[in-house]
Amino acid sequence: MAVEPFPQMKKKTSFAKRQRIQEAIWGYLFITPNFLIILFFTIIPVFFALYMSLTDWNILSTPNFIGLENYEKIFSDKLARETFFNTFYFTVVSVPINVFLTLLLAVLLNQKIKGITFFRTAYYLPVISASVAVSLMFMWILANNGLMNQILGSMGIEPVRWLTSPKIALNSVIGVTIWKGLGLNMIIFLAALQDIPKELLEAAAIDGANAVQKFFKITIPLLSPVIFFVTITGVIGSFQSFDLVYNMTRGGPGHSTTVIGFYIWRQAFDYLNMGYGAALAFIVFAAILVLTTLQWALRKFWVYSEA
Amino acid sequence: MSKKNNPTKNDSVLTKSVQAIAVTILVFGAITMIIPFIWSVITSLKSAENIFSHSAFWIQFPPDFSAYKQIWERIPLLLYAGNTLKVALIVSIGQLATSSLAGYAFARLKFPGRDKLFFVYIATMMIPGMVLLIPNFIVMKNLGAINTHWALILSAVGSAFGTFLMRQFFLSFPSELEDAAKLDGCNPFMFYWHILLPNSKPILTTLGLMAFQGIWNDFQWPLIVLNDPSKRTLQLGLSYLMSEYYTDWTLLMAGAIITLLPIIILFFAVQKYFVQSFKFTGLKG
Repeated sequence: MAVEPFPQMKKKTSFAKRQRIQEAIWGYLFITPNFLIILFFTIIPVFFALYMSLTDWNILSTPNFIGLENYEKIFSDKLARETFFNTFYFTVVSVPINVFLTLLLAVLLNQKIKGITFFRTAYYLPVISASVAVSLMFMWILANNGLMNQILGSMGIEPVRWLTSPKIALNSVIGVTIWKGLGLNMIIFLAALQDIPKELLEAAAIDGANAVQKFFKITIPLLSPVIFFVTITGVIGSFQSFDLVYNMTRGGPGHSTTVIGFYIWRQAFDYLNMGYGAALAFIVFAAILVLTTLQWALRKFWVYSEA
Repeated sequence: MSKKNNPTKNDSVLTKSVQAIAVTILVFGAITMIIPFIWSVITSLKSAENIFSHSAFWIQFPPDFSAYKQIWERIPLLLYAGNTLKVALIVSIGQLATSSLAGYAFARLKFPGRDKLFFVYIATMMIPGMVLLIPNFIVMKNLGAINTHWALILSAVGSAFGTFLMRQFFLSFPSELEDAAKLDGCNPFMFYWHILLPNSKPILTTLGLMAFQGIWNDFQWPLIVLNDPSKRTLQLGLSYLMSEYYTDWTLLMAGAIITLLPIIILFFAVQKYFVQSFKFTGLKG
């Protein structure tokens, strides 16, 4: 349909208004399919989960409202305390090591290295690999007579019970988690490094700054928003880790690798304590919110901003 | 003369030695990344009886492919692959459709409440998936979707992240094209379909791959909502194979390799789209 080239003046306002309304209708129409999914499978479920956490929901019988009993139970649940400790340990070990290694790898890759594509591919391969397959690969490598112990044996070192010793298993799971996650953050850091204006580094060099000074006075401040992002997503990720624990150790031996992501699944879908599971999940949600807000508030002290 | 030349010479010697150290560390790291895969392939090509009788460093030659034959008899691998492919394709296409439409509306169309609604979208991205597992299980149960592939599809065909990604991309789309299209009498859907989408192939490919890979590799949600063995996805099948044939390493490694292969091939075919996804999120800017 052709648009009238010279609409009459008095019609103009109503035409513009009609066009605005039409545009709004298109807007709502376009958003609806996606919004319905978000509404029914994210927004409503969050409030539903909050309500569930105040009940003794177990699928089998009708749920009763029990107030804050589930939350009180968390404090007396010894296993929950052990789980929170394991999760805390998992996070404070895996996140800093991941950030340090990925930053180091990205800086090294940024040194006009030949074969950058090869390295990028190699480090990214574990990222795209499914966690079940990765679990299987490492269960075999870390088996009592697996590759790792045979390599140690050839150097005269006693075999280690990587996945069957309560003292070591959690560290092994952390190791595999780090191995699987390096590529992603490395690529993120590399892209940020390549964005740093060359003039800044050249100007610093002319002013007599050496490589170390350039790194700590220019590169790190400019990267700090990315370090911030990577740390936050790393913490959130480790609070939710499940796949590797489920497949490699089932939370054992004992409860030594039971982290909160696994414990919630066990309570909700193994023991069918859905209400209690929802309460535990909300504690994690709250922890993530507090940590994110805290880091956000503190970021002005260490995150460089161009504004 | 020589004095004048020295600094640059020292400099290049320095950069060369720095590069040598960098390459050494990177190569060591890359070996650590690749060896588990190679080790799995080597193991899968051994005869089961040779796994424990020989040293780990021994490679069987000629290779024994029987694990790759056996695995089809132990689990219905083709059925699982079909299930996974079906769900992954439906979710990728669905997510592309709903996210690009919503992303376009948020980026280019004006309507009351738009920015408030977008804020809600951003806020939902902060919700950890773990909080949603339990209520979504109940929702799916009430919809009668437990033990069907609907449970995997329904909750995934819309995505706040996908919408965010598409919006960021569409924001930078030149407005001249949009104005010209309007003058030609294009309504928003015609513009979206004939001009916006054909010019957004990189971002669509990236989002589609992310969705596809996410569903292909997903484990926890299928574990929760699928009990019926005939409905299993590849990852579930592999996990159950592991609990059944616990120490049959040749078989398990063959299973791991077979389920990894499609994604790895896809990765090598369209690597740049895999790697650049985060670039569109505005994280860099």
